[in-house]
Order: sequence, then structure tokens, then C-alpha cells
Amino acid sequence: MSTALVTTLLHRVILRQWRLAPRATLLLTGILALGVAVYVSIRLANRAAVASFTHFTDTLTGQSDWIIQAPAGALAESVLPELRRALGARPVHVIPVLEATAAAPAAGGDGGRFGRPSYTLLGVDLIGVSNLARSADGVGAYYGQSTPDRADSAEAADFWEALRAGPQVWISPEFAPTPPRQLSLVLDERVVELRVAGVIPSAPEAPRVPANLMVMDLASLQRLTGKEGWIDRIEFIVEAGPRQAEQRAELAALLAELGRDRWSLSSPGARRESAEVMTRAFRLNLTVLSLIALLVGLYLIFQALDGAVVRRRGEIAVLRSLGVEERTIRQVWLAEAAVLGLVGGTLGVALGWLGAQVSVRAVGQTVNALYFGTTVNQANLSVSEALLGIVLGVVTSVAAGWWPASAAARTPPAQVLHRGSAPAVGARWARSPMIAGGCLLLAVACAQLPGFPLPGGGRFPVAGYAAAFLAIFGGGILCSHLLAPVARLASAWGRRRAPACVALSHLRQPSGRHRLAAAALHCAIGMTAGMAILVGSFDQTVRNWVQRTLQADLYIASDGAQTANAQNRISADAAAALAAHPTVAAANVLVAWRIELDGRPTVLSGTDFAVLQARMDLPWIDPPPAGTAFIGQEGPTPVVVSESFTERFDRRSGDSVRVTTSTGSRDLRIVGVFADYGNEQGSILLDRSHLVDWFRDTSVTSVSLWLQPGVDADTVRADLLAQYPGLSVLTNSRLRAEILRIFRQTFAITYALEIIGVLVAVIGLVLTLTSVLLDRRDELTTLRALGFSRHEIAVATAIEGTALSAAAVAGGLALSLGLGWLLIHVINKQSFGWTLGFALPWGQLAALGLLVTLAGAAVSYGVGRWGANLPADQEA
Amino acid sequence: MSAAISSLLQVNAVGKRYGDRRVLDAVSFTVARGERIALTGPSGSGKTTLLNCLGGVDRPDEGNIVLQGESIGELDSNALARLRRQRIGTVFQFFHLLPTLTVRENIELPLQLLQVPAAERTTRVQSFVERVGLVARADALPGQLSGGEQQRVAIARALVHRPSLILADEPTGNLDSANGANILALLRELTGETGTALVLVTHSEEAAAICHRRIHLRDGRVTAES
Repeated sequence: MSTALVTTLLHRVILRQWRLAPRATLLLTGILALGVAVYVSIRLANRAAVASFTHFTDTLTGQSDWIIQAPAGALAESVLPELRRALGARPVHVIPVLEATAAAPAAGGDGGRFGRPSYTLLGVDLIGVSNLARSADGVGAYYGQSTPDRADSAEAADFWEALRAGPQVWISPEFAPTPPRQLSLVLDERVVELRVAGVIPSAPEAPRVPANLMVMDLASLQRLTGKEGWIDRIEFIVEAGPRQAEQRAELAALLAELGRDRWSLSSPGARRESAEVMTRAFRLNLTVLSLIALLVGLYLIFQALDGAVVRRRGEIAVLRSLGVEERTIRQVWLAEAAVLGLVGGTLGVALGWLGAQVSVRAVGQTVNALYFGTTVNQANLSVSEALLGIVLGVVTSVAAGWWPASAAARTPPAQVLHRGSAPAVGARWARSPMIAGGCLLLAVACAQLPGFPLPGGGRFPVAGYAAAFLAIFGGGILCSHLLAPVARLASAWGRRRAPACVALSHLRQPSGRHRLAAAALHCAIGMTAGMAILVGSFDQTVRNWVQRTLQADLYIASDGAQTANAQNRISADAAAALAAHPTVAAANVLVAWRIELDGRPTVLSGTDFAVLQARMDLPWIDPPPAGTAFIGQEGPTPVVVSESFTERFDRRSGDSVRVTTSTGSRDLRIVGVFADYGNEQGSILLDRSHLVDWFRDTSVTSVSLWLQPGVDADTVRADLLAQYPGLSVLTNSRLRAEILRIFRQTFAITYALEIIGVLVAVIGLVLTLTSVLLDRRDELTTLRALGFSRHEIAVATAIEGTALSAAAVAGGLALSLGLGWLLIHVINKQSFGWTLGFALPWGQLAALGLLVTLAGAAVSYGVGRWGANLPADQEA
Repeated sequence: MSAAISSLLQVNAVGKRYGDRRVLDAVSFTVARGERIALTGPSGSGKTTLLNCLGGVDRPDEGNIVLQGESIGELDSNALARLRRQRIGTVFQFFHLLPTLTVRENIELPLQLLQVPAAERTTRVQSFVERVGLVARADALPGQLSGGEQQRVAIARALVHRPSLILADEPTGNLDSANGANILALLRELTGETGTALVLVTHSEEAAAICHRRIHLRDGRVTAES
């Protein structure tokens, strides 16, 4: 019976009201949809960016069973015969793979040098891969495919002839609607021309071929990259059959036995997981930020439903007087919230999917700059993601509707019919300074706790976020206590003016709605200003870091290195030629090897320490002892490590590290720690001479040049670019600008989410004042009867809104100092391991405070005009 | 001297409709300075609508209302607001004190609207606080007062700026009989002392009895005047 009554009331009282006031309903649904959309779009973009870290070979062959690779550097091709012998007659396919990165040449000018498409070139045994695909179901081979030149089928003989003709690539079907015949690519320091032989055929049930994948014959790629005799990894696929699972296990045991220290054995799943681990802190932080949009959405729904309850208090009174129970009233209002959540959530999922198509690029750019190359430009929506969004919409809406529904149910008819009752001041706990103080003390305690260790390395600052939440909550309660002092302060001026006198009297005894609006606005301002402090501090720290570390006049790297994990190098000959340029006074080189330590990726870098110490100024967190020699020492090699390394691997000065190189394990001793804001994975820096010995490779990652006095860097740059079109040559100022641009780009999403937060809080202020005026409708009647003009009523509301905003701004800015400190010293430190100086962007904070106060005044005046035009409340 | 000049308020053939329903139909009467008029009639007879039109809160569809020579119908909303703050005081059935202002601040509000100098405001407010017997409660909030006390504050607020006309809508309707009698006595005394005219909407015989004249409305028309 109760369910039937709820359904009837929902239909006749609530849904009919939706039809009568469709704009209000649409607004409410839109607000909820926006909150869900922000969360869904960030979630989809995050997932897409990580999913794009495909194990590329999967797209050619289907999933491999096992992969072996050298712990550092490349694997000698000579292990292949040994492996084939050891495998004997086992039904296993062996696929050697060489991987390289390349970029499209710059279109011209500096503007085109950054953010260009980056490609992964996969060198494989094409015949073997083709046979593997054909053995599955007879499709997908590297001959017999459509080519740009020939639409007809080619024969195998043509294929061999084509291979002999020179380097050629197969490109992704997504590369372009019409594949080009020829491609120019920057590979290491050279620009190479490659003939496009066709599009990559997909293996059965393999993932879609990514747009940035190109396939070459293994030998061709080895020749192009100068890595004859070397491969990056070998993949193994066990043929399908009744004993496949058993054979897979036997293969793993055999490979582990054979490999010992020579290679590491892993599964493709583990590699994919490592990409997830690498970006987990970044993605978790972004997800937390996206939840803010949902939280402010919840707040707006709360305000809007609360307003609806106030407006329809008369209806509720009638229902109550007709005998409808409190429980039924609550259920009807909650059912309305649930229906709103369902509609808003569904709309939000659709909007979120659309938003993800935009945000995925921003997330992808950050992942590119900090972690690994992605080409993701679209985010797909799965059924489970859609359901999650809808459920989130319903839960948010029902949670937001709980208090208004309870308030509706609690309102006794007698109270509704009796005019002039004072507005509710809110729950006692929500006004208690003791609770606020307790929250702030707990926040301080939480801020002292370490981050939660993530599987695979890194930490997630759970306690840091808890501290931020507690600070926001406690600060919100305290902020509501600012309303009365602000009102008293303003009363000194307002005593002579009737609108001010009335307006400020309301804030001297603020209602629950006033307190909530102040707390919400305070929260939004606190978070936005806190984020501005973080970005400002980051900006200043990175500027100082760049100032100290970038001392050379020119910086040179392969123009093909466009992402954080690009492998492009400069040959030793080219590096020597650059250093020998007649205008160069001094040169240094840097070489970086990606290695694994404790099963996690990091970077082993080498440089010439003599030049470094003479000409550069590393920003030390913990400097090495004076007179430390970095070469010619007996025992463990002295190294310095980045601050992120110490956080990630829990090693400090004085600790030892054992790393694996191409020529075996090496013991290192940490003698110092330096700041490095360009690498979150951590890095070990030592004299390059060691790395040349250990990796038997003289190529370098980058070269820095100091020019002779009076030489124009731009002239030398032009000269070098003419000689080496495959190199990126940047002047000192251009590189500094580029580093700062990438840094700011990583905060773009954060800013967008914070701005949404402030906008929503200002909209919340509108809804609050609307509810407040509706609640005080009889007072408006009185004011009009006393002779208040509409303008004066609007001015009174504007003063109320402005004072409320001013109190929220004061509280919010105070909160931002605490949040800024938390973000800099706890959340950032635990997530990324970077020490930042604390810098206050005074101009930004003042502008934010002024903007919010003015926006508060403007919207309040508007609401006041609306309230002044409400029909007079009729007396009995 | 013509009646138009000597009377304070002239109501001339005022009519008002809400949709198809005629709420007021050719209502006419005059009120002289210092005169007390009772508007009586059953519920729905149009008393409150007429009172709202007299106060300029609502506008008649037909006829006109002239207060001290000024036609209310020709005034824009700002001029109407000025008229109310200068010449009219209002007393409501449910008091309608501002709940966040103290007794003293509620009474002071009309004087602030008229930008009366602070010293004079203080004197006049104090005088009315004493006159309505609320010296001890002057700094209390309305929520801390009884119904009778609240209505006394409302009367003080209606008179403090020396209006020429008080509009009172069932001022005793929410009070017990003892408090009601006190309020009526206060209204009679104060309007008598200040020479303020009073238009009193009421169902109560006792309330009507303090007035000089009685106008009875039924279905929006004046059916009796005595």
C-alpha cells in the first residue's frame, strides 16, 4: 500500500510539477549531468591514455605467452640459435623484436618542432609473423595485401623483391584514409625516407592496430638504427592444442632456467600492468579532482531540492494534514531524487563520453610528456562504465536529496501554517567550533602520515587527501562562524541604511542555508586558491631549477624524440662533430638508459662530471661531500640520484644500489641527491665513461654546447640544423620556454576542474539566496509594506550575498594556505617525490577573491530583483 | 472646501478581477484625517484585496484611489514605495516582524528608510518603546516575545514615522481575547494621539467597535455603511 501511495504521489505531485516547471527540472538534471559527465570523461580519458600503451606486438600476432628481454640495453641476436636448440620440437613460435621510435619531421620553424606525431617502429621477422597469422585462419600477411601502388594481390616473389628494393614500412589502417606512398621520418639524428609497402594486417582477435604503429622487417630496422646483431626482446607463442597450458608452463620454466642473469622473463599482462603502475599516481590524483565536480554537483542538487521543498511546503502541509505519513513524504522526495539521478546520470554518461573525446588529448599530452608515448585520440565507452556513471548519478542525487527529503517529512502542518517562524539554523554539530577544531587537529595529524604504498612502487597520499577533506570540512564550519563578525563589521557602515540593516541582521543570525552556502563557497575558493598556490610554487621552483641547470647555449637531441620514453640517440661521431664546431667553447653529453630496479622502471644516466662540475649547478637536495671523485674509484661506483628516486626506491645518500647492465651487474654507492622535476620515475646519474664500458655503446641522448664569447647562438643553431636536419637544436631561452610550456600543460585539466568548482559554488549561492528569499516571502511582503522599493530589496539581498561571499573568500583564502601546504609538502611529495618551495601568487589570489566577491554581489542583486517581483504573500 | 480636499483617502469605484472572478466591484468610500474605519465582511468578500490596493501593494483594474490628493494608480513602483514609507503604516495579523532584528531595530526600520538623523531616530524609537510598554524587552528578538508583545512592536513600527494612514489587517486575529483587547486599546489611543487615520480589516465586533464607521463588504461590493 505504501509503495502504491508513493508511486501515486510521485506521479501526481512530483512528476506533474516537472511538467509545470520544465525549466527548473531541466536545470536540475543538467547540473547532475555535468557532475557525472566530468567524472566519466576523466575516467574514460585516463583509461584510454593507459590502454594506448599497447603491447604493440599483440596487434600483429595476438597475445604472446612469454617475453624475454635484457635487464638493461639490448639483447644479442646470437641467443636465437641457442633458444631454438633448447626448444627442440616444442610447438612454439619464436619472434625476435626490435623497437624504435621516430617522429614526423618538423614542418618548419620552432612552432612545428613540438607535439608532432611520434611513431613506434616495430622490426619483426615478417615471414614468421605472416606465417603465424596465416596458420590461424589464413588472413593477415605482409604479402598478398593491398598496397598504395597495387590494388591487386602480390605474389611472394614480389615481396622478396620489394624487401631487396630498400627499407619499407607497413602502416596502421588508421594512419590516413589514403595511405601515402612514401614517408619521411626522423630516426636518431637522421631523416630517412621509407617506402610504404601497405597497411598492417591484424591478427585474429588481436587488438586494433594503433595509429602510431609502423612495422618493418627486422633486418631493415637493425640497419636503419645501427643495431645490427641486436634485438630488444624475444616473444614466444605456444601453438594451440590440448597441452597448451602445460606447455606454456614448461616453456616459462625452460626460459627462466636458460636466462638466469642474461634476460628477464615476463608476460604481456605484466608489461601492461607496469604502464598502469607508472601512471597510477597521476591518474588517481586526476580522478580525485574529477570527483570534486561530482561533489559540487551533489551540493547543487541539495540546494535545488531544498529550494523545491521550501516552495512546496504548502503542498506538503496539505498532504500531512490529509494523513500522509512522514515516511511516505520522505520516500516520495527521495524517489524524485532517484528519478532525477537516473535521468541526469544517463545524460551525464553521454556528455562525459563527448567530453572524454576532448579531455583524452589533454591527458594524453601529459602522459606523453611524463611517462610514455601515446597516440590516443578517442575514448570508448563500455557498458560497465555507462552503468557506473548512471549509478553514480542516482547515488549522488539520492544522497543530496536526503536532507531536503527529511526536512520535508519533518515539517509539521501546524508549523507551516503558522507564519513568521524563524529559519532553521542548521544541525548543532554543523555549527560546533569544537567539531571544527577537532577536524583541523585530525587534519594536522593525517598530514604527518606516510603515503599508502602502491603495488609496483610509488605512493598514493590517502592520508594527505583525508587531511585535505578534514581541513575543508572543519574550515567550512569555522567559515560559517565568520558570517556574524563580518556582518557586525559591516553594520558600522550599514546602520544608517535600511537595506544594509536588514541584510546584515540576517547574517548576524545566519540560517543553516547561509552556513552551507558560505561553507561551499569557502571550499571552492580554498581548493582553487590552494591549487593556484601549488602551481605558483611549482612554477617558481621549476623556473629556479631551469635557471640553475640549463647553463649551456645550445641543447641538441634527436628530432625524433617527442615523448618521455623515446629511444632516439645521437651517434658518437655526430656528437664529436658537434663538439668540434669552431664556435664551441665546451660541450657535454648526456646518455640515458632505461633500466629496471626492484622490478620497476628507472633511468641510468651518464654525463661528463668534469664539465658538469665546472660549468653547471645541479640543484642539490643533499650534496655529495666536497672533493668526491666520480671516476677512477675502487669499489662501488659513486653516483648521485634524483629526489624522486629516493622516494620511489627508498634509498638515501650512503646506500648501495645494484643495477644490471648489458655486461652484468654493477654496484653503485649513492653520494648525493639532486632535484629533478623532469622525471617522475627517478634517475641515477654517474660519469658517462662507466656507461660506455657497461653498455658497450657510445651513442648519446643529448649534447649541450657552450659557445665562445660573442658568438650568436641562433646563427650556430641555423648552421647545425642545416648540417643535421634530423637533430633538434634549441637555444637556451627556447628550451626554457618549452619546459615551462610542458609543465603548464600538465596543469591544464586541473585548472579546468577547479574553475568548474568555483562556477558551481557561485550557482549554489544563487540557489541558496533563492531558497532563502522564498523562505522569507512574508518578510518581502512586510518590506514592501514598509516602503522598500524593488531596488532596495535587491540591494538588501546583494549586501547579504556580498557579505556572505566576503566571509567565504576570507575563510577560503585562509583554507588555501593550509591546502597549498598540504598539496606541496604532502600530496605532491608522496605522489611524485618532488620538493617544491612555497610561493604565494598574491596577484592571482587577490584577483580570485575580488572576482568571487563581485560575482557574489552581482548574482545576489539579480536574485534580489527576482525576489522583489514575487507576488505579495496573501494574508488569510 | 470640497470633500475631495478635506478627506485623507478617497476610494472611487474601485474594481478588481482575478481571472474571471470579480473580487472588488465599484467600491467607493472616503476616510477623513484621524478617522477610524472598520472593513468587515465574510471570508472572500475582498477585504484584504481592498487593503492591498489601498497600500499600493496591489493595483485596482478599475476606479482610482487618492491618498492626500495623490492618485495611487498613476504612481510607478518606486513612487508607490515612497508613498508607503512616508504616509502609510501597516499592521498584519501575523505581526511580520523581521525575525533577525531586535524590537528596537524593527521599530527603527521605517525611520532608517526615511533617512531620519540618528539622534532623532533614537529619541523617537525610545519614545515608542516606552509607549508600547516594552522597555525591558527592547533588545529582544521577535522570537523571544509573546504574540501580544509582537503585535505591540508592530503597532509601534507602523506609527513611528508618523504616517497619515494605518492599514491593519485582522490585528487581533492571532491573539487571545485579553491581548486582543489591549492591542485595540493601544491602537485607538495611539491613532487618537497622533491624529492618524485607521482602516481596520476585521471579523471581530470588538475591533469594529473602536472605529468611527463600519463598511461592510460582500462579494466585492459595499453592502452596508454605518
